[in-house]
Amino acid sequence: MEPKMPGFGDFSPVSYQLPDPLDLRVQVTEETDLRSLTPAQLYELNQNYLDDTVPSSQPPISELAPLSTLRTEYEGSSGSFIKQIDFLIQQGYEGIRRSRGDGDCFYRSLIFAYIERIFSQEDRKVAVDSSVSTLQDFLPRLREVGFKDMVVDESYEIPRDLIRGIIDPEPVSMSTNGTTLTPAHLLREFQDESTSKYLVTFMRMITSTQIQGEPETYEPFLTHPDTGETMGVKDFCRIVVEVLGKEADHVQLTALSQALKVNLKIAYLDGRSQDGRVEFVSFNYASDGKETPLTLIYRPGHYDILDRRSSEPLPINPSP
Amino acid sequence: MSVVYSRRLKKELQEIQIEQADPAKRAAGIQLLQADDLKTWYFSIEVLGDSLYKNETFHLMVRFDPEYPFKSPAVQFVVSDKVKPPIHPHVYTNGHICASILGDDWSPTLSVMAICITIQSMLASCKKKELPEGNDDYVRTAPDNPKKTRFVYHDDTV
Repeated sequence: MEPKMPGFGDFSPVSYQLPDPLDLRVQVTEETDLRSLTPAQLYELNQNYLDDTVPSSQPPISELAPLSTLRTEYEGSSGSFIKQIDFLIQQGYEGIRRSRGDGDCFYRSLIFAYIERIFSQEDRKVAVDSSVSTLQDFLPRLREVGFKDMVVDESYEIPRDLIRGIIDPEPVSMSTNGTTLTPAHLLREFQDESTSKYLVTFMRMITSTQIQGEPETYEPFLTHPDTGETMGVKDFCRIVVEVLGKEADHVQLTALSQALKVNLKIAYLDGRSQDGRVEFVSFNYASDGKETPLTLIYRPGHYDILDRRSSEPLPINPSP
Repeated sequence: MSVVYSRRLKKELQEIQIEQADPAKRAAGIQLLQADDLKTWYFSIEVLGDSLYKNETFHLMVRFDPEYPFKSPAVQFVVSDKVKPPIHPHVYTNGHICASILGDDWSPTLSVMAICITIQSMLASCKKKELPEGNDDYVRTAPDNPKKTRFVYHDDTV
């Protein structure tokens, strides 16, 4: 049942009936003179072209694949990237889990890796409790910086239920049918567009809150991604961090790994290294300094998850 | 779990209805006129206190994309026999509004009420009632849905 509003007098919107937006699709043939189109039509045309050419078929998070699949993409182009990929393989990083290149790839990669690593912990119950409490402890801070309860609650529920679902079939209203969450389920959840977007939104809120909580630390480094102009904390968070599709840079990486209390290691593939060595940049914020870092791989403008496994592990049975 | 997108809108509507019933919580000058479904809502907006729009009331139409809150809603002033849009450097005579919060700077952490308040304060801070530059050209060629316009955001503080 959709909620119904009680009547509101005689206000009538009928004079403003609007045609279906699809009717506005511009029809062009080879003979069409583009100069005859209005700016709005040209924009429309360009957007249609982009929609048709940018593959939207890539899921938000993909299955683990051998890193050699990335290597084949660079064959015939940059020798330096290939050397760097080979270097990573030699270091034991044999797999890559792709995150869709839509500007949210860093946030999505990190929350996936954050949840997925719980499967490989010796004591999953401890890992689940500590991960959930890290997120939960953050909630009052989210409200303090001004996020509405409604927004905080709806975004928090999703990572919480996914993480708890690893050991507890009860709170899970998901696709697990009363069993605990398996890695396969986790992947499927992340491949759901709305679930993925809520997770990214929650990560962005946490990142924003962390930056706002330490303005003096972050302010000197805040610049507008397009213009390069310096920005204040509030503006930066509002326009660069909290908006979907805006890429993450060093500041956001630092803030989020600090907020989630994780060790994060990024393999930077710049395609410029002469000897093929890859530089790793570490953000160490786990309370246990020796904690295994979550590892991502960066290529200019894009983050994916780097893994030592080259394919999905078999679904892990629930712990006894 | 495949979250249903409309769950946010239902919650927002509930919250607005609760706020509207309570003068202590209500955003002054903003009133929900109609929300028969989860597709199109109407609000009335007045600027209280001293402003160029004293004693004027405007109607705002908010249309939701099925992917709300991840996509911004289409927001415009209603133009009809009964109500006219405000004369403002960011408001075209067809009711379209040029404000970055409705486009590039939309965030799913915002809400419909946040939009109404932003637009109300955009009016409150206006220094001179004038139409946007190129209003006639824009209105002649504008798409029906303002979200299809690629606005160049000038100064949101005007």
